[in-house]
Amino acid sequence: MSSYFTRAKDDLAYNERVFVEGRGHFVDDIIKPGALHMSIVRSPYARAKILSIKGGMSSKDLGARMASVGEGAMEGKNSVIQPVFATGYVNYVGEAVAAVFADDRYKSEDLLDSVEVEYEPVKPVVSIEDALSSPPIHQGLKSNIISEGWRGKEFPDPASPIVLEDVFMNRRIATNPIEPRGIVADYDGKVLSVWISTQSVHSIKEGLCEALGLGPDAVRVMQADTGGAFGSKGGLYPEYVIASFAAMKYRRPVKWIETRMEHLSSTSHGRGAKGIVKIFAERSGKITGLKGEVIVDAGAYGAGMGEFASRFIATMMTGPYMIENAHVKSTSVLTNKVTLGPYRGAGRPEASFFIERMVDKLADELKVDPVDLRILNSSESKFRSPLGMEIDAAKPFLDQAVKELDYRRKAKSTHNIGFSFFVLVPAFAPGETARVKVDGGKVSVWLGGNSHGQAHEVFVRKLVNEELGVPENLITLYRGDTGMLKDGVGSWGSRSAMVGGAAVISACRKMKEEVITKFGKYSVQSLLSGAFDVYVNEEQKGSLNSFGANLATVDIGKLGSVKVRECAAYYDVGRALNMDMVIGQIQGGMAQGIGQTLHEEMAFNEDGQLLTASISDAGVPLAEDIPNFEVKVAQNPSRLPHGAKGLGESPTIGVPTALARAIEKASGKRIRETPIRPEHIL
Amino acid sequence: MNPSSFEYFAPKRIEEAFDILAKYDGEAKILAGGQSLIPLLKLRLTSIPYVVDISRIEELSYIRESHNELHIGALTTIDDIENSASIRGKYPIIFDAASNIADPLVRNRGTVGGNISHGDPSNDMPAVMLALGAKFTIASARGDRVADADGFFIDTFTTALKYGEILREITIPGRGTHEAGCYMKNKKTAGDFSVAGIAVQIRFNNSGTIEKAGIGMTSVNPKPIRAIKAENYLKGKKVGDSVVREASRLVVSESNPSTDFYGTVEFKKQVLAKIAEDAIYMATDRAEEN
Repeated sequence: MSSYFTRAKDDLAYNERVFVEGRGHFVDDIIKPGALHMSIVRSPYARAKILSIKGGMSSKDLGARMASVGEGAMEGKNSVIQPVFATGYVNYVGEAVAAVFADDRYKSEDLLDSVEVEYEPVKPVVSIEDALSSPPIHQGLKSNIISEGWRGKEFPDPASPIVLEDVFMNRRIATNPIEPRGIVADYDGKVLSVWISTQSVHSIKEGLCEALGLGPDAVRVMQADTGGAFGSKGGLYPEYVIASFAAMKYRRPVKWIETRMEHLSSTSHGRGAKGIVKIFAERSGKITGLKGEVIVDAGAYGAGMGEFASRFIATMMTGPYMIENAHVKSTSVLTNKVTLGPYRGAGRPEASFFIERMVDKLADELKVDPVDLRILNSSESKFRSPLGMEIDAAKPFLDQAVKELDYRRKAKSTHNIGFSFFVLVPAFAPGETARVKVDGGKVSVWLGGNSHGQAHEVFVRKLVNEELGVPENLITLYRGDTGMLKDGVGSWGSRSAMVGGAAVISACRKMKEEVITKFGKYSVQSLLSGAFDVYVNEEQKGSLNSFGANLATVDIGKLGSVKVRECAAYYDVGRALNMDMVIGQIQGGMAQGIGQTLHEEMAFNEDGQLLTASISDAGVPLAEDIPNFEVKVAQNPSRLPHGAKGLGESPTIGVPTALARAIEKASGKRIRETPIRPEHIL
Repeated sequence: MNPSSFEYFAPKRIEEAFDILAKYDGEAKILAGGQSLIPLLKLRLTSIPYVVDISRIEELSYIRESHNELHIGALTTIDDIENSASIRGKYPIIFDAASNIADPLVRNRGTVGGNISHGDPSNDMPAVMLALGAKFTIASARGDRVADADGFFIDTFTTALKYGEILREITIPGRGTHEAGCYMKNKKTAGDFSVAGIAVQIRFNNSGTIEKAGIGMTSVNPKPIRAIKAENYLKGKKVGDSVVREASRLVVSESNPSTDFYGTVEFKKQVLAKIAEDAIYMATDRAEEN
């Protein structure tokens, strides 16, 4: 067990050392003597019958199916479970068909050519429209629709004079953390030990146990330093099951490290949502009703988030606004693409894009200021949206945001300006676990959700210090380890500082009581002189939301190139536990928001081939795309003991919508999708 | 990913390279800066049993002027070209292209000869060489031969270089008194392949009439080609809005882009038309400054 961040005097300096200078101990840094390296034979077709496989490990050796775990899978079991190895037929380019193993990576990649797979290609289902009009891609299904439902109640069309309708698309994008996925698995005859780059060791363990039929005592999952994830490392993937199975079968450690090309084709994509929205409004600008449909391109199986995402997006379709009537259909469809998973925001940015684009459209229709329209439709008090969201009083925050972002003055001097307003609904329930242990004069902490670049150790040290008075240099947060913490949820959905922080506080308070019971009163000295070990599962119910607003201005070049001139944020972060971390989170997320809006896309041709199979084609934002960010925060404390609110996903929700509006104003072309390609605005 | 295994040679003299190429008749491949070949090998899009790394042949790396001509050794790096004061001053068209190739890491390793010899229609130097009317000295065990840039590019990834031959030198003809050029390209993001690129070199007489125009295009045809109709049209004309518009229209008429992830045919033609106009004006401005 290695220390997560060993008592650095300067948290930021340590975090920079690990993640910027590449001095962390990542999965690929784990060297096991005698290890096998694994390479995966992947499908070159989006859809094909497998006629024969010669060589390698394949479905005949491992017929398991993938358990559904992690973010977005918590609502229940998925209906179309992905096999670990493609079985009988392949359903997306990059699907695992067979695995080969060798003493080193060169040799295992050489072995890929030794596996002979005979395919009979079948016409694939690539687009959402294809999916709705084509026979199901899997046998035994009635259609390609894997989830369907309604949010809100049906209502007769209001007699409002303004009725506007539009169709929007957020195209698929890759998560693209700097460190791709990776795993090392080892088996000693009793326990399968797994080291992995992940957001949740507990999800991975749950998934492996189910897929391999192992009991909870037979699997230990340990997190390596994790170089980013953005949603893609919370769930189970075929390679994890295969590497674990191979480690048990060959009784040798097995390592697999994903290449960037594999990441683009075979790690879940995000977004991939279409929105059809109709709003009804009075001439005053008051929106009286919203009807619509969300259709999510779930990919080839129900794994990941695809099945759940459409309902989640539909629930948030009224945004932060007080719209009394809303009725939204949600549909998720199967396509011959890699499964859809969470990507920073995971449904929240899509919903916000759909409603914010409609509010801007209404402003143009009525020829009024779009921010005035947002204020008009915001509530002075908290309310429950017809789609089921609990929303705090929005108007006071919005009024303040207009001032903080200096909107009125900037809107006078700049035509090319966009303003967005949103409510972030983080993954609050079901709470999180924590373990705090005191031994040998030191405090050790484990959290149910695993840091993958956010530097959880910073808030953990601060909160333990505040609760127990222990100097921060005696407090260590360890990496995720199911051997040290029996259960947990995961780090996603803007939740860790909120629910992880609350769990740490709860554990500290319990420990304080134990100290008092033992010593009669509490002191740091008595705490550190003893041995204590407290586990809590701090459950959270209901929801806890926070507001945010963004402002963007742009210039457009003669050839449709967009230069972001200015990108500003004003978010309610609750009590900021560390302002540097807050600013860092926001700036990084704003860069990703710019990426989604301007360049990022996972594009497929009609044969289901990935057109964006290299990192340069994936469109990740570059330094030249990034303006100076202006970041301001409101600190309205939440009801949690430490006052924290969710933050991580705010920038990817607010930036695309503000930027889309600024580009719309600058180009005079209605913006309906991301990314916004130069040919759309030329 | 990692490449499959290959045998690696790094000769220091060009004659040694010829010997190795001869020994592995047809099976060896020349590596210069490696900025195209290494990715192809790493991604296992190709495998080559014998790689002849010629980057240590120092005699092939130089920039010098003689008899009013510019001589560039084929192994001169893009970075060296970008930082050459004489190229920047006298042949801004070459500087424009060099300073916009990919990113500094690629330019540090990539060579001008490799950029030309790879025959990639999205590489920038071929269009520049077509616009300048460059000549290529091609070396082999049988001796040197000289080929015009025009005619050198046969098809996508196919040039007039035969197995066993190595591009030795690029010779740029002397520049007239009132002559200048410009290279422009449009790309979605820095470091990306271009949507379209255009190289324009114009020579004016004393009264401001175009004596000669050279125009090469990048990324809009299966191979790098000249825009001959536009070149001929410009000859004898003076630069003005209607002339530039017509020249740009002719350039576009000689392009044959295809719709792909980088854009539709229509978009690429719009881009080409715009940068063609800009490049002609820029070349004219520069010629006037001479």
